[in-house]
Amino acid sequence: MEYLAYVAFGIYVLIILTGGLMAVLCRSMVRALVGLILTLFGVAGCYLLMAAPFIALMQILIYVGAVSILILFAIMLTRAPAGAEEAPYIFPWRSIAALAVAFLPLAVIGGMIRSGQVTPLVPPTEVPLAELGQTLIEPYLLAFELISVILTVAMAGAVILGFERRIGK
Amino acid sequence: MNGITHLEMYQFVALLLLGLGLFGLVRRRSLVGMLISVELMLNGAGLSIVASGQLTAASGAMAQLATLFVMGLAAAEVALILAIIIVVSRRFGHIESNNLRTLRG
Repeated sequence: MEYLAYVAFGIYVLIILTGGLMAVLCRSMVRALVGLILTLFGVAGCYLLMAAPFIALMQILIYVGAVSILILFAIMLTRAPAGAEEAPYIFPWRSIAALAVAFLPLAVIGGMIRSGQVTPLVPPTEVPLAELGQTLIEPYLLAFELISVILTVAMAGAVILGFERRIGK
Repeated sequence: MNGITHLEMYQFVALLLLGLGLFGLVRRRSLVGMLISVELMLNGAGLSIVASGQLTAASGAMAQLATLFVMGLAAAEVALILAIIIVVSRRFGHIESNNLRTLRG
């Protein structure tokens, strides 16, 4: 049975890779957003494989349900030309610089991961939902309250920024 | 699997997401594309946190909730950036990061 988990993991990694490349390379913003959504689903699958179904559902609910819709709003509200294409590249200096920027942390952190001394716990156990709730209101109480403040401030800031032209006049 | 543990496999996937996000953040020229890249990196962070909680002796509940907080922060950040992008596109008529050179509005 264990090889099935490897097959599922491979499929999820393939989904993440395809979606990530689409999100980074497609010139059309809408296609890039579709790639991002694909990646989000792949990551949700990885959460399921790690026996964390609650986080997988939250991933789909928050990221796919809310965040990508907000990005779609950002694409649609900026009055970009149809499909919101970026201008083509004349010479790929920018891509070369981007490759260098991405490769350096990858090499450093990859080496650190390989030399890690952590003993892994192989079959991950599912945390019951009641224990998650208990953790949320005991060790994480302050963070839990603070994030509600942050969400309120962000929403208020977004509304104020949206009205800025009327105030300016 | 020549000595690669499950934890390392998930951490490498998270690292892949970080690399893709950094690549996109530098390469993209429109603000929306950069926002999409930042989301990729945040997802990698969440995956890494959950992997290090669920696959080691550390507390799984703490890790899962930390990822939940990352998701909440990402939602707040996207709402704010959406407003900023709309303001920029109103003032400049475009959202190309190369041509945004005026600071004082």
